[in-house]
Amino acid sequence: MITGTNKVFRSLAFAIALGVLGFGTSGCMDVTMHEPGVYMGATDPLLEKQADPEHIKALQERFVKSQSDR
Amino acid sequence: MKLIKKRDLTKKESASVLNGVLGSAVDRRTFLQRASLGLGGTAVAAALPTTMIRRAEATTAQASGGNAEVRRSVCTHCSVGCGVTAEIENGVWTGQEPDFDSPFNMGGHCAKGASVREHGHGERRLKYPMKLTGGKWTRVSWDQAIEEIGDKVLDIRQRSGPDSVYWLGSAKFSNEQAYLFRKFAGLWGTNNVDHQARICHSTTVAGVANTWGYGAMTNSYNDMHNSKAMFFIGSNAAEAHPVAMQHVLRGKENGAKMIVVDPRFTRTAAHADQFLRIRPGTDVPLIWGMLWHIFENGWEDKEYIRQRVFGMDQVRAEVAKWTPDVVENVSGVPADQVKLAAQTMAENRPGTIVWCMGGTQHTIGNNNTRAYCALQLALGNVGVEGGGANIFRGHDNVQGATDLGVLVDTLPGYYGLAEGSWKHWAKVWNVDWDWLVARFDTGYVDTKADVESGQAPVPFNNPMNATGIPVSRWVDGVLEDSRLIDQRDQLKAMFFWGHAPNSQTRGHDMKKALETLELVVVVDPYPTHTAVLPDRQEGMYLLPASTQFETYGSVTASNRSLQWRDKVIDPMFESLPDHVIMYKMARKLGFAEELTKNIKVDKDEPLVEDILREINRGMWTIGYTGQSPERLKLQMANKHTFNPTTLLAEGGPCDGEYYGLPWPCWGTPEFKHPGTPVLYDTSKTVAEGGLNFRARFGVEYNGTNLLAEDSYSKGAEIKDGYPEFTADMLKQLGWWDDLTDAEKQAAEGKNWKTDLSGGIQRVAINHGCAPFGNAKARCVVWTFPDPVPVHREPLYTSRRDLVAKYPTYADVKSHMRLPTRYESIQAKDYSKDYPLIHTSGRLVEYEGGGEESRSNRWLAELQQNMFAEIHPADANDVGVRDGQWIWLEGAEGSRIKIKAMVTRRVARGVVFTPFHFGGWFEGKDLYDKYPEGAAPYVRGEAANTAFTYGYDSVTQMQETKASLCKITAA
Amino acid sequence: MARMKFLCDAERCIECNGCVTACKNEHEVPWGVNRRRVVTLDDGVPGEKSISVACMHCTDAPCAAVCPVDCFYTTDDGIVLHDKDLCIGCGYCFYACPFGAPQFPQKEAFGVRGKMDKCTFCAGGPKDDNSAAERELYGRNRIAEGKLPICAEMCSTKALLAGDGDMVADIYRERITKRGGRPETWGWDTAYKSDV
Repeated sequence: MITGTNKVFRSLAFAIALGVLGFGTSGCMDVTMHEPGVYMGATDPLLEKQADPEHIKALQERFVKSQSDR
Repeated sequence: MKLIKKRDLTKKESASVLNGVLGSAVDRRTFLQRASLGLGGTAVAAALPTTMIRRAEATTAQASGGNAEVRRSVCTHCSVGCGVTAEIENGVWTGQEPDFDSPFNMGGHCAKGASVREHGHGERRLKYPMKLTGGKWTRVSWDQAIEEIGDKVLDIRQRSGPDSVYWLGSAKFSNEQAYLFRKFAGLWGTNNVDHQARICHSTTVAGVANTWGYGAMTNSYNDMHNSKAMFFIGSNAAEAHPVAMQHVLRGKENGAKMIVVDPRFTRTAAHADQFLRIRPGTDVPLIWGMLWHIFENGWEDKEYIRQRVFGMDQVRAEVAKWTPDVVENVSGVPADQVKLAAQTMAENRPGTIVWCMGGTQHTIGNNNTRAYCALQLALGNVGVEGGGANIFRGHDNVQGATDLGVLVDTLPGYYGLAEGSWKHWAKVWNVDWDWLVARFDTGYVDTKADVESGQAPVPFNNPMNATGIPVSRWVDGVLEDSRLIDQRDQLKAMFFWGHAPNSQTRGHDMKKALETLELVVVVDPYPTHTAVLPDRQEGMYLLPASTQFETYGSVTASNRSLQWRDKVIDPMFESLPDHVIMYKMARKLGFAEELTKNIKVDKDEPLVEDILREINRGMWTIGYTGQSPERLKLQMANKHTFNPTTLLAEGGPCDGEYYGLPWPCWGTPEFKHPGTPVLYDTSKTVAEGGLNFRARFGVEYNGTNLLAEDSYSKGAEIKDGYPEFTADMLKQLGWWDDLTDAEKQAAEGKNWKTDLSGGIQRVAINHGCAPFGNAKARCVVWTFPDPVPVHREPLYTSRRDLVAKYPTYADVKSHMRLPTRYESIQAKDYSKDYPLIHTSGRLVEYEGGGEESRSNRWLAELQQNMFAEIHPADANDVGVRDGQWIWLEGAEGSRIKIKAMVTRRVARGVVFTPFHFGGWFEGKDLYDKYPEGAAPYVRGEAANTAFTYGYDSVTQMQETKASLCKITAA
Repeated sequence: MARMKFLCDAERCIECNGCVTACKNEHEVPWGVNRRRVVTLDDGVPGEKSISVACMHCTDAPCAAVCPVDCFYTTDDGIVLHDKDLCIGCGYCFYACPFGAPQFPQKEAFGVRGKMDKCTFCAGGPKDDNSAAERELYGRNRIAEGKLPICAEMCSTKALLAGDGDMVADIYRERITKRGGRPETWGWDTAYKSDV
């Protein structure tokens, strides 16, 4: 369980670590730092398609066709 | 540590691709993956067969959004008949979609069905005709192969007669190919023609047909939705017929009680309500033990027996001997479990019985199958929806190939081998009768002295009317003293036409037989175990046959339904469809014209539709007459209109028809009979698919009436039993004038089986009657060695204390042309040296001899080693641990080196081996003996190498479910 | 918005491996990599139960939580996918996954199938739908074609269900009611949070 105190302590530790890293890697300017847990990859065009109600309906119809006992 | 840059790696990868391609093993997937990246494409392409390049191109095309063409076929593995939907691009099979429309599988597939697309790529296929020269396989042309084989075969015919050439056919044929093959053998002049039915369900066909008329599954997989009880004995459907379990489990969800009887706790047993662990080979005691309770408590259906069953009293007399304690002692099943099973079957009607090779593959297999029938007849379960004998057949078209007579003892349609039967077919074939008779070894009148008694065996006038040598015994047909074989000479040439030898027993003898033959020809998509087992230098050919995905035609599922397969892809490599090879061979042998008198031939390919039309014109006995190519194709286009429980089309172009026009589909196609979904179901009219038991065994026996009493199908104008229909009977009934003038001409002097106009059948059905008469089923088959089924201990038994009370048969001098031993083997006690019972069965991933499925990467990956299931106690007794290499030695001394799987799935004292492996012999991997690039991915010892002598007393089914063996650490 | 889920009905699963080969055949998954497999408990003794397991497409996916390069993403209908160009093949997701779903190709560390391979719910990856590049790395994208995972669509006994979780639950509930028992399906509690 992460307590409030722990969180503060962790943030502090993270900041110190960042500082150390920043100092140690000065000169490697192309290093990207980012927040953990945020997807960093390419965009999937499927996501757009999934919002389409037609597509959702098609999948539901497919489910009925394929997986119910006829 | 040196970092590898991405650029370097690409170069290295590129090189390894080329090495892979140019080396002996082409890694197809690696190739495809790289090819689309454009690495070394040209160099790679030059080294590859064209089909692979086409596939690569097609894959790219599809990925870029090309349109796939959809073609429909049927799975080529088991007999459920699952629809396969194939996607084709640029001639390459690129995708496989579920066939939701099929009422059989509704999209479902097991491991085999879900990977059939792999057969359409088949890099492990036999690619070209091959000939063995100096112990090496060399590529030859088709013309050269046919010429050389033909010359040799004609030479053997000259010296030893036509019976010395054996035509071993296949359950993998389409119906049209199966029919053409039987016709081919007949025109060659022999009955030495057989196929897998001999070794899987011959005892079923003989036992069941002799009980109630037809030897096939009475109901259907789908009909099990209606069952209240399901009794499996010797059937592991979850592995052997996985998609059937869709229907079984739906039945169970509908409330059916499920009982499994097996020596192993199978995956099917895992779903059962009751599991009875039986000692292998004690089916009759178990069934009679159940009937004992049924009779004791008066649970039998007395009115049904009175109306529709002959001989139940004699069964009752035999059953009286099988009291609960005796049954427990012999079968090993606790008495209370037997009683509970009997009570469950009695209280939950209709109930169905399912059996497979666990019941059939015994020296008393025909007794087992008849005992199962007697149980169902006593309960009144036959001829009703949800009941019946649901005999699950094995291969995709073993039902069709059986129906079409690829057998030593019958012609297409179970017409038998009598002169009248041959004349019927000669008429359908339009061949000259005298010419046909002369094709056989008519000069051979057996004058051989019987070496033991000094007397000549009974001669037969013409081998045309004599049952041939069954496939289970071909080894003896080669090796037996020719004076003891009921034909001119031993077998000199064998054609393994879609049939692997690892499904037959006695490894040592088989190897010797394969080395003794003058000529061995394999016609198959794969080289099979045949190609590698014998140590030969010459006299062997491998001819590449296409799979059913590379041709088209009809196929009969276990439930008697016919489905039409489209051609999915063109024949691969240099392979040819079987019917093309038959035609080429017939031309060389000089009877191509007779073979195809009614059949159009285009570039050596007999027209498949014409073959089916010829089948339709002759198969009156079992109603293969109404299923014209046009009707079948129409059904395939409207699969979705059929109800998955009743199989009835509701509306649409096929309205009122049953799916696949399950035989009997009476009369001509124009008569539009809907097919028969449940055999002997009197609640429907015959015109709507109803029936009653067939009048096959005469009208009376020893003064007792054999016809039905007060029972008849709905709407029958004869409200009682009646014999089978003949022209004379129509006249006596005053129905003769219902025939048209043309029909009268054709029907005169004929009966329902031989009237080629179909008029007799039409008139009988129009009056509500079954063309084959209306009789009782019989529990006593007076023509069999055991008229009422009795128990007999296996030849190799560990229960020596039971041998005196339940002995096997006396040795037989000539049973299907060969001396057959029983008591002389059982007399010796092998159980001291071979203390474990050896039994065998299927794995879900593989099928039959397994060559095709072991050459399929997806399947091969799932089962990579041949193994034996051994109980922990037996393993500890011989100091063997799980996963260890062991030797399993059969009681006749043949040994196999396999892995131990220590499991409680088997009982103590029982060892189980799967029978799909091949390509090893007695500890040696025969990889080097395959033609290059054609060895299956997985090879292993054939279980049957270690199986022993023993054959059914009626059909010569081999005993592969109860033998003896011993295990030692390897 | 639907939430895509797998459910394997252990009362119907017969361990036929149809789902396994259907998957391999559809996506050309190399030998040694199993996006889906069938697990049997109490093999060969009474009580034997089989269940087909792949990536469960968890709502709060542990693989995504631990990934050091954050290559995982969840689509709007709950399918957990990953970007193989970003993945470094460290195997940390393999530690975290309760189902053993992440697979690591044996032959080459930088195999064309990427460093880590897993079930995509037949939804491909972050490339143009059904482009050569997507098929190359992730296999076929059936979801984009309006189809559902091939393993479930081809299940021999319709034991394996895949689709909108609500619809899956409806079918399953119907079967349970018919059988008169309660769900005994292994994994239900772990993968399906009560609020889903």
